[in-house]
Amino acid sequence: MSLRLNELRKHYGATRAVDGVTLELGERETLALLGPSGCGKSTLLRLVAGLETPDAGRIALDDADITALPPQRRRFGMVFQDYALFPHLNVARNVAFGLVELGWPRRDQEARVAELLELVGLEGLEDRRVQQLSGGQQQRVALARALAPRPEVLLLDEPLSNLDQTLREALKDELHGLLSSLPVRAIYVTHDQSEAFAIARRVAIMREGRITQVGTREEVLERPGSAWLARFLGHRNLYDGSALQRVPGAPHADTVLLRADMVTLRVAGQAVDVPADVATTSGTVRRARRDGLRWQLELALPDWSLALAWEGFARELEGAPREGTELHVEVPRAAWVTLEER
Amino acid sequence: MRPSWLSTALGVAASTFLAVFFLLPLAVILARSVGDGSALTQVATNPFYWQRLGFTTGQALLSTALTVALGLPGALLFARYDFAGKRFLTAAFTIPFVMPTVVAGIGFLALFGPRGLTGLNLRDTLALILLAHVFYNYAIVVRVVGGFLEGAAPRLLEAASTLGADAWRSTLRVSLPLALPALLASATLVFLFCFTSFGVILILAPSPHLATLEVEIYRLTAHLLELGHAAVLVVAQLVVVGLVTWLYTRMQARLAVALPARAEALPRPRGRSRVLLGVNLLVAGALILSPLGALAVQALEGPGGSFPSLANLVGAARPANVLGLASLGLALRNSLLFATTSTVIALIVGFAFAYAVARGRWRVLDQLSLLPLATSPVTLGFGYLLAFPLLVTHPWGIPLAHALIAFPFVARSLLPALRGLDPALAAAATTLGAGPGRVLWRVELPQLGSSLLTAASFAFAVSMGEFGATLLLVRPDYATLPVAIFDRLGRPGPQHYGAAMALALVLMVVTGAVMALLQRRGRSEF
Repeated sequence: MSLRLNELRKHYGATRAVDGVTLELGERETLALLGPSGCGKSTLLRLVAGLETPDAGRIALDDADITALPPQRRRFGMVFQDYALFPHLNVARNVAFGLVELGWPRRDQEARVAELLELVGLEGLEDRRVQQLSGGQQQRVALARALAPRPEVLLLDEPLSNLDQTLREALKDELHGLLSSLPVRAIYVTHDQSEAFAIARRVAIMREGRITQVGTREEVLERPGSAWLARFLGHRNLYDGSALQRVPGAPHADTVLLRADMVTLRVAGQAVDVPADVATTSGTVRRARRDGLRWQLELALPDWSLALAWEGFARELEGAPREGTELHVEVPRAAWVTLEER
Repeated sequence: MRPSWLSTALGVAASTFLAVFFLLPLAVILARSVGDGSALTQVATNPFYWQRLGFTTGQALLSTALTVALGLPGALLFARYDFAGKRFLTAAFTIPFVMPTVVAGIGFLALFGPRGLTGLNLRDTLALILLAHVFYNYAIVVRVVGGFLEGAAPRLLEAASTLGADAWRSTLRVSLPLALPALLASATLVFLFCFTSFGVILILAPSPHLATLEVEIYRLTAHLLELGHAAVLVVAQLVVVGLVTWLYTRMQARLAVALPARAEALPRPRGRSRVLLGVNLLVAGALILSPLGALAVQALEGPGGSFPSLANLVGAARPANVLGLASLGLALRNSLLFATTSTVIALIVGFAFAYAVARGRWRVLDQLSLLPLATSPVTLGFGYLLAFPLLVTHPWGIPLAHALIAFPFVARSLLPALRGLDPALAAAATTLGAGPGRVLWRVELPQLGSSLLTAASFAFAVSMGEFGATLLLVRPDYATLPVAIFDRLGRPGPQHYGAAMALALVLMVVTGAVMALLQRRGRSEF
């Protein structure tokens, strides 16, 4: 019982918006589709919704081929980036829109609308015009409207991107709670990695029309498959394998990532016992910068002929580092990640 | 910003012009209609005038219903789908709207007149009037309704489809309710245009029992010299137009739904929608292109059916003869002269007005700019005759009337442009030592270039095609192209008919060229 995308393709002229995507979405699973803007993730979502027709490939739901099925017969709910609420209808009629299409009696519609407005925390706003709602409220109406007809799959297209930072943080957790409590499969499209990792356990990364990696958030964050993805996720220490010959414990590969989050810094001169799989060297601070509560350091490691970017909290450092400060650097073997592609 | 002396001065100048050349003539008509009590009773007790009112209203309602019946499906399909040649068709469908009434009238005469191409003579029938009105107004419905929906509806229609609504259901539940205010707006506009229809009727249905109020006012003034009766009819017409406009603004305010305007890619039509769209475009295209095509064919037809031939053009160009008809050269010269003069006047007044409203404390004037739009050309010409009897011996009445008719278009395209200018730029110029006059000259005017061009070409086209006011104010030696065409239609003989066709072709080409310039540059509220 699953939603299966098989070798989906969609081209616009010479642009390959979706270039052979294969994905599977299990029962009750929420999958985040993460990628930079213009990577084709929204087009992919529209293909799944049936709003676009693929040039090639198949979409199957529970083994039934639905590639040619028009959107109105798929019963997939969709939350649009700009919400697309009907301006001529009030909150209740917006939520009931899909129920009317299903031919529900008025009384059942009202009960279902009340149930959903309670779920999203908008009880009592039934008769409001949608233009009178705040951005966050509109977002909730859009979600309630998509959920009302009990969709087979819920599709969310950057639903939080039009909200301000504070509201986005709050709604992120709320959405995660809601999606994991409901018996619904969901695909959540976003360009924001913190959103993707907060909302879904499994994340698919998309780049230039292709899925480059699918995995749990730990797999993706800790073992990014490519240099591009490592940079996209915020890793800053990527090295050409040939530059690591003097580094003990570094793998032999074309491209190697050093996970700075596993590197420990200490005040130089302290004698510390380290396990056998941890390599040590000395480093000089080239640049030290405070970004809010976090320190961002750039270090030179002369013995290894390497530059290292590190960031962390004050408690992980002893004293305030300055340009020229000598530090002791500990790099466990597990901090090195071999990247398969550039 | 504080209103400057400049905005006050321009506001005073614009209001004075409007007061003298618009409000005064209207006041004189009003005084004439009530001042002479006998005229009022004579008109009110004459069943013929009541029939005119009934016919005018009836034909306008019928025309509106037919236009909406053809235009609404077109608008819905235009707003919903993208297809090859859409931009071209959108532009093509606007042609009738900007074509002079005389050209439209002649075009239908070339199709369905006594000498028409089809051989089917529909002159002096209601059917031909309705056809011409639909031809004229189809674009209004498609542009107003389609443009309104195209801005926001695509995403809403997608939302509806993910909620289970197919094309038909989403049209019913989303497009139509959303389009209602725009539909009412365009239907009201169409009704008002048809209610005050003049040139089309005078050319296609000259028999008295098919006369609208507007035509009757002209006849009473120009032929029967019953100025008192004409004044009463003018007031009656103004009352109806005013009432409809008022109703429309009230409905508009109640039904208005703010749609987020954004351009989105539209899907291509499939299946049934494709057939529907094809049929609609075919009917509309035939309706719009065939009269203009027929006009061109008949204009270029030589004696004995040779084609193409310049015989008609040569005939029209012959110098004025004993019959007192203006030659092509004279009429074209007059038309261009009047159009240039009235464009300059309309631009000056329109700009003064827009500047005063946008920069000064002249907000009240804002609504006033639309009033001349609700006043028919014949009313204006009639008012000039009553208020300034000296104008009859002087050519200035024509460009003044033309300028006033063009004024709402000019004001409405300059106003948003002026409002859209960044006030910080003017403030910056002020801190650099420029007074309001210098700011206007060095900062604001240069930025208004394309809007001024839009306004100018609108004013020019309006003047080239203006018929109702000109017909009342004209004398033989300053006949314009539309007047020269109309005069020839009234004469017997195929050479006059052919010359009228040739003159109409010239008018069509000149207007088309001016509007092509407009299409390429700038935009306005219309």
